[in-house]
Amino acid sequence: MMGKVRHLEMAELLALRDGEGTAFGRSHVEVCASCRKELERLHQVRAELRALPTFGPPRELWPRVAAAVRQRRLRRRVVYGASALAAAAVLAGLVVLRGPAAHSAEGGGDVWIAEAASQDLGPMISRSKQLESLLEVYRPAYKVYDAPTALAVSVLEDRIVLLDRMLAESRSIGADREVLRGLWGERVAALETLVGLELVYDERVEQGGRIWR
Amino acid sequence: MNGKALVLASAEVARARAGDAEALETVYRAFATPVYNLGRRICGNEEDAEDVLQDTFLEVCRSISRFRGDGSLWGWVRQVAVSKALMLLRRERGRRAHGFGGNGFFADTHGMAPPEPSAPIDLETALNRLSPVSRAVLWLHDVEGYTHEEIGEMMGKTASFSKSRLARVHQRLREWLG
Repeated sequence: MMGKVRHLEMAELLALRDGEGTAFGRSHVEVCASCRKELERLHQVRAELRALPTFGPPRELWPRVAAAVRQRRLRRRVVYGASALAAAAVLAGLVVLRGPAAHSAEGGGDVWIAEAASQDLGPMISRSKQLESLLEVYRPAYKVYDAPTALAVSVLEDRIVLLDRMLAESRSIGADREVLRGLWGERVAALETLVGLELVYDERVEQGGRIWR
Repeated sequence: MNGKALVLASAEVARARAGDAEALETVYRAFATPVYNLGRRICGNEEDAEDVLQDTFLEVCRSISRFRGDGSLWGWVRQVAVSKALMLLRRERGRRAHGFGGNGFFADTHGMAPPEPSAPIDLETALNRLSPVSRAVLWLHDVEGYTHEEIGEMMGKTASFSKSRLARVHQRLREWLG
């Protein structure tokens, strides 16, 4: 009396198809037409999957990617400035011992340290640092905005970069203290707007808006 | 595809690694379609495929300086794309589930889409009926040639998960395709 034939299970057939089958599986398909047919079917399905048409992007997306990459590079420049500020703030305590060097156009680092420690500029520098820390929290490595937000972010970041240059220039020519206060004030205002923008945008995305659209 | 990747490797990758915008665009042009197709096949819709394409090339532009050139550029870009596609699936699942269970993002054990078709359907339709995770396993293994170990690792699961999921998918395809 013949025992019931054990046909191969799907996992065994797939292993055979992928060249990883067992000795039992290999010998079984040689004698079992049903499993051999099933194995052939699996080969065919895979071939059909690989022959499916290739989908191409329905629209040109490179400009967006390129814009986001440019935006990120710009942001890194801003963050670089922030790092310098943070370093200055950390070192500020040393100024008390060394004395302010705010009038030295040569000693850039000393000037920053002195500014961070001063009564009039110190709070604004500290606020700048705080806002930049917040920005880092709200921004992953890449954050992509819709077009209006991207434009606003770009304008603000450009403004901050410009203000940093103006601050450096003002120091180098020994500009009036009032000028420095004005520039620092503008920098804080731009950063506050930027943080506000991030918060509003994040909230919108959280509520179901899709990034990029 | 491989031939193109080799040309890029010799002529453009060095410039792209240095951050040259034109070279980065060349890399994009060379691989945009296969990356989009991968995203489209895994995620199952145009919108997510666009996200995969964009996220992938943002990452490529950011990290290409770290591409060491010891494999094909396409292999590296594809790895980034798969990772972005799976990340997107995780995100979508997370959104739907309002939180992630103890079994991780890819824990759907009942991933097939109801109801059953009453007549045989074509392969394209069948693909769209699969759950995203099932579709991803099928595509990554049968088309892209990833091993079960690689798929399991990418999904934060085991090779056995990938194997059993693939077996179930093929079982279902047999019923659907007739």
